[in-house]
Amino acid sequence: MKQVVLFLSILLFFSCKQNTQDTDVINVYTHRHYESDQELFRKFEAQTGIKVNVINASADELIQKMTLEGRNSPADVLITVDAGRLHRAKESDLLQPIQSKIIDSIVPNYLKDKDNQWFSLTKRARVIAYAKDRVNPEDLSTFEDLVNEKWENKLLIRSSGNIYNQSLLASIIANHGDEAAKEWVAGVVKNMARSPRGNDRDQVKAVAAGEGDLAIVNTYYIGLMAHSNNPEEVNVVESIGIFFPNQETTGTHINVSGAGVAKYAPNKENAVKFIEFLLSEEAQRVFALSNFEYPVNTHVEVSETLLQWGSFKEDTLNLSELGENNKKAVILFDEGGWR
Amino acid sequence: MMKEAGDNKIFSFKNRLLRLRRDSNRWSLITLLVVFLIALPVLTIIFELFDGPGESWMHIVKNLLGQYVSNTVFLLIACSVMVLILGVTASWLVARYEFPFRKQLEWLLILPLAIPSYIVAYAYAGILDYGGSLELIQRYLGMEFTRIDIMNRFGLAFVLSISLFPYVYVSTRAFFLNSANNLLEASRMLGVGEIRSFFKLVLPLSRPAIIAGMILVLMEVLNDYGAAYYFGVNTFTTGIFRSWFSLEEPETAIYLSALLLLLVFALILFEKWQRRKIQYANESKKNERIYRKTTSKGKQFLIFCLVITPVIFGFFIPVAQLLYWAFLTYPSVFEYDFILLSMQTFGIAFLTATVTVILATLLIFAAKWNRISIIKSISRLGVLGYAIPGAVVAIGVMIPILALDRWLMDLVYKISGSPGGFIIHGTLFALVYAYAVRFLAVAYNPIESTALKVSNSIPDASKTLGVGNFKTFFKIEYPLIKTGLLSAFILVFVDVLKELPLTLILKPFQVNTLAVKAFEYASDERVMEAAIPSLFIIFTAAFPVIFLNKLLVKK
Repeated sequence: MKQVVLFLSILLFFSCKQNTQDTDVINVYTHRHYESDQELFRKFEAQTGIKVNVINASADELIQKMTLEGRNSPADVLITVDAGRLHRAKESDLLQPIQSKIIDSIVPNYLKDKDNQWFSLTKRARVIAYAKDRVNPEDLSTFEDLVNEKWENKLLIRSSGNIYNQSLLASIIANHGDEAAKEWVAGVVKNMARSPRGNDRDQVKAVAAGEGDLAIVNTYYIGLMAHSNNPEEVNVVESIGIFFPNQETTGTHINVSGAGVAKYAPNKENAVKFIEFLLSEEAQRVFALSNFEYPVNTHVEVSETLLQWGSFKEDTLNLSELGENNKKAVILFDEGGWR
Repeated sequence: MMKEAGDNKIFSFKNRLLRLRRDSNRWSLITLLVVFLIALPVLTIIFELFDGPGESWMHIVKNLLGQYVSNTVFLLIACSVMVLILGVTASWLVARYEFPFRKQLEWLLILPLAIPSYIVAYAYAGILDYGGSLELIQRYLGMEFTRIDIMNRFGLAFVLSISLFPYVYVSTRAFFLNSANNLLEASRMLGVGEIRSFFKLVLPLSRPAIIAGMILVLMEVLNDYGAAYYFGVNTFTTGIFRSWFSLEEPETAIYLSALLLLLVFALILFEKWQRRKIQYANESKKNERIYRKTTSKGKQFLIFCLVITPVIFGFFIPVAQLLYWAFLTYPSVFEYDFILLSMQTFGIAFLTATVTVILATLLIFAAKWNRISIIKSISRLGVLGYAIPGAVVAIGVMIPILALDRWLMDLVYKISGSPGGFIIHGTLFALVYAYAVRFLAVAYNPIESTALKVSNSIPDASKTLGVGNFKTFFKIEYPLIKTGLLSAFILVFVDVLKELPLTLILKPFQVNTLAVKAFEYASDERVMEAAIPSLFIIFTAAFPVIFLNKLLVKK
């Protein structure tokens, strides 16, 4: 009995120590969990004296959490790794519009919400990784062309549960309409070298091993592999080439990670300051150098690895459209039998 | 006519109420209270069902449900068979025979549980992958690379079985150590051979223990998300996440969870029905020395090989791969914070395991001491939390806690005049409560299976002599079920160490666990970097496992 009392008192003790509403605090709900981010949070703390409290989880879980918490939610800033989720947060009435000259001067229109409710922080491009020894890059042109029968049994791509694939299809729906998207799904499924499995890195490895010739992957993961501690992965990257598709048409599909201020943010001013900080040249340089992402702030150079792959024309479709078409994309994937 | 009239009288509503009142005691109330607390999140989820599924429900039924059902059923069957063979063989050999390294293997057999199954999946994929360890070894030996494709449902069944069989091992071993010995002696004295008595006597008698472990395994299999998603196998749980996250319909996800719950409920009922009225009590004396057979050197070696095989596949191979990755990545990943983080994780797991074991014991015995049979049946509802994905449990916990919080905040506002933040939500209390909801089954099953074997005669005698329930429990039942309690504690402890989705959603700002750290890397496809925090999880788990195992084996 004594032990029970003891434990209850310990629990009560812990229950009481929660201070999320002091003036010098900001509560960040984030899907990004990189060391570079933690480094930035520490920098922000040092510069402003505002303590950064972090909850890491997937964007969907964070959105659910904010919804349930309602107007008492301690969240000030929501950070996700794709535009679709930010759009969903906005649709669920979880964000608020922000007026900031600093932010407006850095983020171009297509990389932010129409009503200024969220802003991109970094960009990733979805590209085609091809086997240098078997594929002539001149045969490659667009994502749409991948359904061509010359690629039968040659395509590698991960499962449709992955958000980057969903966003890619959402962009095709937005650019070309439902019917075209449906045909594209059917064509890609037909050309797959194997049923989808593993992550982006696994697709690149499979190309190097000859299981297929082309893999649709994010630049960001190839960057990570090129700098991997595992010499095998470095070898793999050396055997593949990077192709930016759709250069002659819509531009290469990009996705972003971005941030918005919570509707009921208890520390709104700090939240705006925080986003401005993340877009500053200093912070953007950290993003660019440590994580192989493309910075949104154009005054900052991309990392050397990305520089080698050259510059490219990006799809300037407003990113809100990815969110609007996300669900439709998932249904098309399921109907087309894309696991 | 007469008879009918009489019946009506006896079974009239008023009479029933009277009988309920006569039979109820404070234990009925306590049982109901604990069940209510534990089942509240589950009931919340079930309550949400009345909103109906989302508009994508038809889409799921048409395009996906068949796949979910066939893959899930396949996994359930394949994993049952494998864990049954692995778990029972290992526990039997360890409990009955003397062979080299037996003492070490006893606790090594528990350790596969300490590696989150998605990490085991990553490790095996890493070994068998292009440029993986197997290829490196074969290249070094000058052999041709033979690739084994593990990323399919057979591979998934293998990975899940090899990392979950310790549930069966732990619960059956507790039984074998406790009471199988004298039974077997009796049977041998009557001239029945070893193998025959195993199948005829020991296996049927150990059924509650085996089933207790199996139910945990099956629930864990139903719950797995990470490994199934990575291997590209669509199951119910990947479907729940797909409808929640990709189709943006939490209500459809809840509908799928409810189907899953039905499946689990069916499993439990089936087991109950099978067991029916069989009583497993026996009057085994405690403090009896365990007698282990010593066989010839050759046989000893054979037994050693049999026992070490699951340890090799479930522990040494994945750990070796993790160590290799850790070696490659430690300059960039290792921080001294990890040691602090281990201690924090250890503390949370310890606290949770204690709370959960106390709750489970309370539930089992309160149900036993209460006299209303319907309440006895209701008490089993407490185990349902384990079948639901952690993320869904988290939602189920948040809804009532937030409701309570809003009420409390109103109260605080009325009294003090200033608005405050959440009082329970976002604290360690909420997290531990959610863990308890989720892991009650893990504690419940091993305790119940040992409690079943305590015959009622001694406690009954004690109570006839006027000793209270509590005192009787501590004097008589507690020593008899101690092995079950310890097993339960170990299992919950290890489970909390590696728990992820629930922790992510409910953890307070200041709290972090090793599993969260490992996930941060793994979710970013930096599996190699996840090796170091994963190894920390394993080492943090190893200490209590070894220590408690000593207590458990020591008579």
